[in-house]
Amino acid sequence: MTAASARRPTKAASTRVGERQEALAGYALIAVPMLLFLVLNIGSILYAAFISLWKWNIRTGPVTFLGLNNYVNALTDSIFQAAVTNTVYYTVIWVPLTMALGLFLAVIVNQKIRGRTFFRGAFYFPAIASSAAISTIWIFIMNPFGLFNQVRGILGINPLFALIGFGPNQDWLGDYHTAMNGIIILNAWTTSGTFMIFYLAALQAIPHEVYEAAAIDGAGAWDTFRRITFPLLRPGHFFVATVGVIGGLQLFDQAVQIGNVDGAPANSLMTLVLYLYNAAFKRLQYGSAAAAGVLLFLIIFAATLIQRRLFEGREPTTA
Amino acid sequence: MLSAPPPPERGASTADRSVPGTGATSSAVVAAGGGDAGLAAVLPATGPQRAEVTVVGDKTRAWRIRIAYFFLIAYALLMFVPFAWTVVTSFKTLEDSVRLTIIPQPFTTAAWDYAFNNLQPNIVQMFVNSFAIAIAVTITNVVLGSFAGYAFARLRFPGRGILFLIVLATLMIPDQLRMIPIYSIFNAIGFNKGVLQMVSIVIVLAISASSVFLLRQYFLTIPKDLEEAARIDGAGHWTTFTRVMLPLASPAIAAVTILQFQGTWNGFFWPFVLIRDQSLWTLPLGLTQFRLVGGFGTNWPPLMATVVLATVPILILYLFFQRYFVEGIAASGVKG
Repeated sequence: MTAASARRPTKAASTRVGERQEALAGYALIAVPMLLFLVLNIGSILYAAFISLWKWNIRTGPVTFLGLNNYVNALTDSIFQAAVTNTVYYTVIWVPLTMALGLFLAVIVNQKIRGRTFFRGAFYFPAIASSAAISTIWIFIMNPFGLFNQVRGILGINPLFALIGFGPNQDWLGDYHTAMNGIIILNAWTTSGTFMIFYLAALQAIPHEVYEAAAIDGAGAWDTFRRITFPLLRPGHFFVATVGVIGGLQLFDQAVQIGNVDGAPANSLMTLVLYLYNAAFKRLQYGSAAAAGVLLFLIIFAATLIQRRLFEGREPTTA
Repeated sequence: MLSAPPPPERGASTADRSVPGTGATSSAVVAAGGGDAGLAAVLPATGPQRAEVTVVGDKTRAWRIRIAYFFLIAYALLMFVPFAWTVVTSFKTLEDSVRLTIIPQPFTTAAWDYAFNNLQPNIVQMFVNSFAIAIAVTITNVVLGSFAGYAFARLRFPGRGILFLIVLATLMIPDQLRMIPIYSIFNAIGFNKGVLQMVSIVIVLAISASSVFLLRQYFLTIPKDLEEAARIDGAGHWTTFTRVMLPLASPAIAAVTILQFQGTWNGFFWPFVLIRDQSLWTLPLGLTQFRLVGGFGTNWPPLMATVVLATVPILILYLFFQRYFVEGIAASGVKG
């Protein structure tokens, strides 16, 4: 055996030891976080899927096997249907509205104008407060004798509201016609700044040369936005829409804080998550609650896939 | 800005390539961090200044700026007025609270006395509860998040790709789907009594995918040379991680700290589900329950005083660490 050939396996062995050490270090570092992810997330979904097939007792576990009956019962329950309708309505209105606001703010704040750091900070400001604080403020402002009704009285625009059927002391969050729209506006208000920040990050990713080229071609501001900025923001749109839809379908805090757990008034604030909560903690039907949870997950998953499809397609070229 | 570690010429360019591109969630996250390697996503105030596109005459431009300012100021007012009204109302009497008086008539601190003395549980108790949970969750997220973030960014081990994908996939799992299994598990092991209710919240929130993702993206931007130099000096993986890499990652750690503290402090869902004892209520839980069942549903001034108290700690954080809020949100992009 020559010296050279003797050295080679040793070196390989030491590399292998190094690799093994690196792998061991990696596993050691991810052990606890991974355990938590696997048990509390992956394990939870599987367990929820299992529970959804049973009549379930919180202390003793499975009582009777029901197969898909919990799903059938949920899907045929009129309150569940109302919950789906409300949740989808909320998401379909709130997401585009907040995206439009966020994009609008981002484009303005992205200009080189004085004070833009201040404005950016101001627009994000409502997002730092808790949903409980925000909802309480909103209930106060929107109550029949609240700031909103008083200000529109002073501005003299009450005839306009009368045209669409609202009196001077409309109880915006207590009337089932307007309660959900009230939450939509509330959450558009608190989240537009967050979406603005997402869009600002996306705007930064657009290469500057594109704008220079547009300027040379003599494109105006609106044309530049419509033909260049907006299409090039496609990854940003996809991201914001996805985050928005995932969040929107899980509407819970504001619905509970404003309408309590019964989704008052008249089920108008009954959301999917609230239905799930009630099934579990009001009616103690853990099986049907789990089934509603699985359905919610499937809806979110499907919505995400659909959006991926929608926003996919040919990437606009920067040329 | 957060892309601090010098010199960033290596590493940064490889960052987004190593994010698994399959699966809806991961690609959503890629879009947030994408392009600029996560935290390095540079926001206007801190990034290189962009030349303005001036294609129209100066007059038109001046008008455009005027219009822009009009919208900016109007929208900024919309952002502040509700909070200002909250503060004003907290110094009013109940009768005055439904009037449009901008200066309280009479000015009174009665509502504040009420908030400090008449709440059950006491406001100080709720502060302590909120604070304890928020601090614990922040610490676990920073520690476990940097462990996992570093391992996923820098250490090679079999299964790394798929495990990271699993972490990202958890972003799509609604908390509510986890609610019943988690509630049953904690019930079964007796975590539904006493202070263990708070512990159960900390366990549920102990690590979030956003913390792991944010830290991983940041570790990816740190040049490999520094690590290799430490290795050559004979440092092991642990020493390299704690002595070399962690200090370099402090901007990302700051962002995770802020985001987690704020998120947990404001959190409503898990306390609502897992806390039964009134003495363990957090501020958001107390605020909601006082209004819904606590009997002072429309006693506006003390409610508004409580709102102010619950918001002030985060407001102070925001005033001092605004960029970490904004850049952390931009980079992790999961708080909707």
